[in-house]
Amino acid sequence: MKKLLIDDTLYETEIPENSLIGRFKGISDPLEVRAIIPGTIVEIKVQKGQRISDGEVLLILEAMKMYNEIEAKIDGKIEEISVSAGDRVEKDQLLIRINSKRKT
Amino acid sequence: MTRASRLVKGGGEVPLERQKKSGKKNARERLDALLDSGSLFETDLFVEHSAKDFGMEGKQLSGDGVVTGFGRINDRSVAVYAQDFTVAGGSLGKAHASKITKIMDAAGEMRMPLIGISDSGGARIQEGVDSLCGYGDIFFRNTRLSGVVPQISVILGPCAGGAVYSPALTDFVFVVDKISNMFITGPQVIKSVIGEEISAEELGGAKTQSSITGNAHFYAKNEVEVFQQIRRLLSFLPSSCGAMPPVIENPASPEHQLDPEDVIPEDRKKAYCVKRIIRRIVDGSDFLEVHELFAKNIVVGFGRLDGESVGIIANQPRFLAGVLDVNAADKASRFIRFCDAFSIPLLTLVDTPGYLPGIDQEHSGVIRHGAKLLYAYSEATVPKFTVVMRKAYGGAYVAMCSRHLGATLVIAWPTAEIAVMGSEGAANIIFRKEIKESDDPEATRKEMVKKYEDKFANPYAAASKGYVDQIIEPGKTREALIAALRLTKNQKEERAKYRHGNIPL
Repeated sequence: MKKLLIDDTLYETEIPENSLIGRFKGISDPLEVRAIIPGTIVEIKVQKGQRISDGEVLLILEAMKMYNEIEAKIDGKIEEISVSAGDRVEKDQLLIRINSKRKT
Repeated sequence: MTRASRLVKGGGEVPLERQKKSGKKNARERLDALLDSGSLFETDLFVEHSAKDFGMEGKQLSGDGVVTGFGRINDRSVAVYAQDFTVAGGSLGKAHASKITKIMDAAGEMRMPLIGISDSGGARIQEGVDSLCGYGDIFFRNTRLSGVVPQISVILGPCAGGAVYSPALTDFVFVVDKISNMFITGPQVIKSVIGEEISAEELGGAKTQSSITGNAHFYAKNEVEVFQQIRRLLSFLPSSCGAMPPVIENPASPEHQLDPEDVIPEDRKKAYCVKRIIRRIVDGSDFLEVHELFAKNIVVGFGRLDGESVGIIANQPRFLAGVLDVNAADKASRFIRFCDAFSIPLLTLVDTPGYLPGIDQEHSGVIRHGAKLLYAYSEATVPKFTVVMRKAYGGAYVAMCSRHLGATLVIAWPTAEIAVMGSEGAANIIFRKEIKESDDPEATRKEMVKKYEDKFANPYAAASKGYVDQIIEPGKTREALIAALRLTKNQKEERAKYRHGNIPL
């Protein structure tokens, strides 16, 4: 028996195992650029320390026989690049870390 | 051996033996199990394909891989087809599809339910675009028959790719443990494209389709149980939209009297199983649940009152406190629309604290999905009876077939609380200042909660406005519902003629 809070009232109830509750992982952090799909890094278009702006293409990830342009979602500076061209990457693997003063 | 006696052997002894070894009945055994004994009236046994490419020329395929025809269930006519996996893997070609569409057309013209049994490897790729044409012809007819005759799909083997959309367009989908598999793209494709690994059973097996996706409405442990379930379901349904469901003469009373004290806990924060209430209202305690494993926070299914079928929708406090959410709204809306299409009155039992809060709900589109429930109830013109048992808060009160959505009769038990929200939440908002400034905030809070409770935690505020028609003791519920059902015998609401509404999807 678990509890569920609705409008300040704590109900005793069961949570079904396939419930969507808690499945949401949050909106992806724009400071961490991750692989959206497993694939291969074709080209990295930025360098460490470089200033980048929202919408700028950071790298190209080949997956499902398509070249996917991975863009920045925030203005900032490249803090770290953790992959090189030719690397195979897994889904959700960290590719680039961005430093930004803008509030996220 | 005559031509006919050879054809009824399907793919021949070897594949029939293989089918048996894999734990599956064959197409003809299935129709025998489904239909009244010896009632199969087969059509198109001698149909042959006319494909010529890729070695198909001159290849004999018994019945082109599907058995079609008519039969009786509890002495009522039905149209049936069963794909035969022993013939070219039950693959669907032009002739195979034509046999199916022929009986679909007949089901529509002769106004009888259609039951299709799927067991097929998919499109017969040697036939190219002709097999796609076959699927399209079936989907078109599934849609045109929707709301005209009940359509039932039974998945007894693989049903993959485009083939899944015929069941998806029908009213009720049955699956069987370890036998049924449904998916658009199978495990191999998913692995090669996305790199994710999953077994066919986990991806689209019977448990998955009946509990996670909600694609299947009925889950059976084996092929014996599934045909019993189908026959039982049909007993609640009319043969077509113009007909009425069978009426049971001299129906039995429920096995137990409705005394909510032994079902509903006094503390309104505590859970109970609403199915125990349902079984104390319907004839003979006979309740056929639809979508039993999916969105368990709402219960839907068929029962009878004084021998007549009713569709029941009930919040289930046992799970998630009986909240409404994305899946519950989808599940209930589809059920309501089925009942309305086939003239089955609706009985709604209300005990819900509201909508489920959460990012996952909002981002899954609870607005769009929740709107379906409002739409389905408002659109329905069958008699709509509502019983408010306990909590009916906020938007969920409105959505659960309130007077405002056109309920025919709203009954409340003395334990009903029809309010904008629960007393704790309401008091915390209305009396925020008083609570904050009090020397003893906790005591003040309790006092204010009590104040709100006394005012709104009852059915009288709503009844004083005429939103509730009757406040009755729970033990009188069945009697009142039967009386109301009699009053609505001649209920008919003519609606303006227009092409169709636009339900949020």
